[in-house]
Amino acid sequence: MSFLTHAMLAQVGQGRIEGGWEYIWAAYGLTWLSLALYGVSLWLRRRSGEPPKELS
Amino acid sequence: MLYVTIALFALAVGLFALHLFWAKARGWVWKAVAVLGGAMLPAGAYFGLSWAPSEQDMGEVYRIIFVHVPMVWAALLALVVNFVASAAYLFKRSWTSDSLGEAGAEVGVVFGVVGLLLGSIWGRPTWGVWWDWDPRLTTTAIMLVLYTGYLALRKFVDDPEKRATWSAVVGVIAAVDLPIVWFSVRWWKSIHQVQSNPKTIDRSMFVVLVFNVVAFMCALFVYLWHRFLIAKAARAREVALPSALPPAGPQEAA
Repeated sequence: MSFLTHAMLAQVGQGRIEGGWEYIWAAYGLTWLSLALYGVSLWLRRRSGEPPKELS
Repeated sequence: MLYVTIALFALAVGLFALHLFWAKARGWVWKAVAVLGGAMLPAGAYFGLSWAPSEQDMGEVYRIIFVHVPMVWAALLALVVNFVASAAYLFKRSWTSDSLGEAGAEVGVVFGVVGLLLGSIWGRPTWGVWWDWDPRLTTTAIMLVLYTGYLALRKFVDDPEKRATWSAVVGVIAAVDLPIVWFSVRWWKSIHQVQSNPKTIDRSMFVVLVFNVVAFMCALFVYLWHRFLIAKAARAREVALPSALPPAGPQEAA
């Protein structure tokens, strides 16, 4: 194994990632917030628009 | 759990098909899908956060997969809808396909941007960086730029027919990036993992992933449908406008 490869592998963490719940909550929070906000946006836009007419 | 997920998957697909092929049912099918999705989304979050076991190397952080993957898959599906609608418009001009194309692009961009952000949040604890110019991430970013351009084009062109034709062409061209995004992890050396399948992921995790995918597809369906109705109503208002206003009379000139 070359020195460069050894040096690169030494930077790779070993074992299991511990914790990280703050990232998980951030991800789930972002998901729910974006789904809710986009849903509200669609609802408001539908309310302000006219009912659809038949178009070809 | 497996059989429940399969049953819910079948129910959702049945409702989607009903909506697609039976026009009279459209008034209530989307509500049924909304109820199904509204019940499955919190249940999916619960399963993803506490029911699914920890992962061997990533520990708990991998739980982001249960929102990241469904979000990106939903985005890709919405953009495929845009491609089909764009191609359909070029074959046969129809305000329905034009409106569906607009809906697919906007919903796809919203889901895609959130999916990319979720991937970034996942990348920080696992890769050590928020962003990397990796093939998957780069092609996804290009995809979002392309479809943002598509939406910008629709905003800037006032003539509905020119807008529909030009954006349909852009929709077909932009779709070239979709398979590149999907296969980028296999075609090039990527730090992003390849697609998970039942052989590479534990069954208890796979079931939760499929459950969440079904929930997000229900949300995607409801959003697409309503965005389509908004676009169609806008087209109806535009087409109802007089194509040429009468010339200004003396009273207007004064």
